[in-house]
Amino acid sequence: MEASEPFRVMDCSLVRLATGRQCVNLRELLEAVRTVPEAVLEHHMMRCAIEDHFELYEFPNDLARWCWTALGDNVVAEELGLIDPYRQLTTAPLRERLVNTMEARLWELDHARWCRPGLELHLVYSRLIAYDIGECVSTPAALLEAIERMSLRSLFYHVHEARRRTQGLSDDFSLWLEQSGADAGLVAALRQIDFYFLNLNQLREALIDAFRRYVAAAPPVPRSVP
Amino acid sequence: MRLLDRYEEVVGHQEVEHLRRLAERLAGKRIVHVNSTRTGGGVAEILGWMVPLMNELGIDARWEVISGPPDFYRVTKTFHNGLQGRPVNLRKRDFDLHYEVNRENAARLDLHADIVFVHDPQPIYLPAFTPPDQVGRWIWRCHIDASRPDWAVWKHLEAAIPHYRAAIFSLAAFARPLTVPMFLIMPAIDPLSDKNCAMPETERLEVLARFGLDPERPLLLQVSRFDRFKDPLGVIEAYRLLKPYYPTMQLALVGGPADDDPEGAEVLGEVQEQAGNDPDLKVLLLPPDSHRAINALQRSATVVLQKSLKEGFGLTVTEALWKGKPVVGGACGGITQQVHDYHTGFLVHSPAGAAYRVHFLLRYANRRQRMGQTGHDFVLQHFLLNRNLRNYLAMLLCLDQPEAGTLVV
Repeated sequence: MEASEPFRVMDCSLVRLATGRQCVNLRELLEAVRTVPEAVLEHHMMRCAIEDHFELYEFPNDLARWCWTALGDNVVAEELGLIDPYRQLTTAPLRERLVNTMEARLWELDHARWCRPGLELHLVYSRLIAYDIGECVSTPAALLEAIERMSLRSLFYHVHEARRRTQGLSDDFSLWLEQSGADAGLVAALRQIDFYFLNLNQLREALIDAFRRYVAAAPPVPRSVP
Repeated sequence: MRLLDRYEEVVGHQEVEHLRRLAERLAGKRIVHVNSTRTGGGVAEILGWMVPLMNELGIDARWEVISGPPDFYRVTKTFHNGLQGRPVNLRKRDFDLHYEVNRENAARLDLHADIVFVHDPQPIYLPAFTPPDQVGRWIWRCHIDASRPDWAVWKHLEAAIPHYRAAIFSLAAFARPLTVPMFLIMPAIDPLSDKNCAMPETERLEVLARFGLDPERPLLLQVSRFDRFKDPLGVIEAYRLLKPYYPTMQLALVGGPADDDPEGAEVLGEVQEQAGNDPDLKVLLLPPDSHRAINALQRSATVVLQKSLKEGFGLTVTEALWKGKPVVGGACGGITQQVHDYHTGFLVHSPAGAAYRVHFLLRYANRRQRMGQTGHDFVLQHFLLNRNLRNYLAMLLCLDQPEAGTLVV
C-alpha cells in the first residue's frame, strides 16, 4: 500500500507561561479550577504529559499528582487521576467534572490539607509550537519505523494533540492510515489505545505492538534518545 | 569541529537537527543579549555558549556588556539581595545612579536588533534610554527568585517593565505577577564545560588525594556556598546521625570564598567549628574557578546532598544527577523539579530525614545505581543546554501570537 500523500513527521516544543497564581490546599485548587482560563486546565490536564513528571509518576495529570505528592490526599488524587480530559469535547464539561470531584471530596473532609511550603502548585498555561522536521513516510511499515525512533514530543503531537484537533476522534497515525486505505483493523487498534493513561514511552510501545500485529515485520530500528 | 557537532555527540543528532529546524524560522534575526559581566556567574556562563550556538544556527546574535563605576555594582548587588527577599537600605541617589548608568550605556552600546534580551536587574532601564527605532522587542530575563522581593527594590524595577514585550523566569515559583507575558525557561547545564565533562580517572583520583579523601570509602558531598539557607550544619548533623552505622563514611562540604558576603564568613566559621577535628569531615574552600575539582568530587561522591532550606533552581543538583549520583535534597525551589522520590533521589525536610534517606542509598547499592542512571537520563532529556536553547527559540516564535493554542510554524 502506498498513500498518495506521505505522512509528514512533526515535532513540537512546549512554551510555558506563568499565571502568577498558586494553590496551597484543595479549597484553593477548587477555586482555581472554577475560574482559571481554559488554557490553564488544558496545560495541567493534558499538555503536562509532554513534560517530565509522568515518566516518573503514575498519575497522568498535574492536579492528581499534586494532590497525591504535595497534599497527601490520596483519595482525591486517585479520583482526579481517572478523569480523562480527552473524553470531553470541550473544556466546560471537564471543568465541571473536576469541580464536582473536588467539591465532593471537600464535603467529606473536616478540614482541607495544606501543602508544605515549597510544594505549592503554581498554575501555568502553555503554547505548543509544532514544526515539520522534514521527514516523510509513505507506507505503514515506514511509519512504524518512524514511530520507533521519533521523539517523545513527536508522539505527543501526533497522538494527544491530534485528538484535541479532531475533537477526540483520531490520532494522526490512524487518520493517515485510514485515508491511505490501510487495514481497518490496524486503524481501529491504534484508536483503541488508552493513550491518556500511558506515559509517552509506554505509548510508543503500545503503538509498535498494534502495528506489529498488522504490518509485515520490518527490521527493528535502534531507538534514539528522545 | 563546530560547536553544534560537539553537542550532537552528547545529545544526539535528532535533538540538534530539531534545533536547526526551529532556528530556520528565525534565520537572520538580529538578537542582542545584554548583561553586566562577561566573566563569572551563571548568566555569563549561559551566554558563553548560547550566543555562539545561536550564531551557528543562523541567527545574528551578539552579546553586549554594560559597565559602570564600582558604586553602581554595589547598588545592583543590593538590588540582587533585595529581589531575593533580603531587607535592604537604598537611597534616592542609589536609584538615580542606576538610571544614570543605564542612560550612559544605552548611548554607548550597539543595541540595534530585532530582539534584545536584558539579563537581570542591572541593565533593566536600557529601554527607557534607547531610541525606539533601534530595538524591535525588549525581553527581560530574570534569573533570580523574585517571588518575595524587598518592596522598594521591586517598585523601582517594576517601573521598567512597561518597556518590555515579555519577561522570562526560571520557575513559576520565582515569578511576580506582571503586566507582560511571563515565560518560563528552566536553566540548564553545559555537558561539555569543565564542571560537567567526562574526566580521566587519574585526574579524579588526583583531586581526591589532594583533599585527603579516600576513594575506597563512601563519600557524602554537598557543594554550595556557606550560607544558612544551604543548611551545612544540618548536613553535618545528618552525617553524625549516620556515622555510627557507617564508620568509614566521609563527608565533604565544598564551597567558595565569601568575599562579598559577611554572613558567609560567619557561617563558614560555624561549620568549621562544628566539623571540629573529625578527619573524615572535610570543609573545603575552593577558588571560584575550581570547576574540574568540583567535577571530580561530584563524580567521586556516593551520594550528593543539597539540603537547602531555600534554593534557587539548584544547578548543583543538576550537575550531580548528570554524573549519575542520586541526590538527597531539601524540598524547596528548583530541587523539587529535579529530585523525585525513589526515582532520582529523595526530598527531605530535616537532618533526620536526610540521614534516613542517605542510609537507604548507602544500604542498597543497586537501587542507588539505578536511581543514578535515572537521574542522568532525566538531565539528558530535560536539563541540558539544547533544551534551554529550544525553549528560547520556541518562545521567540510565539512572542507575537497571544492565543494559547498550537502554533504550527
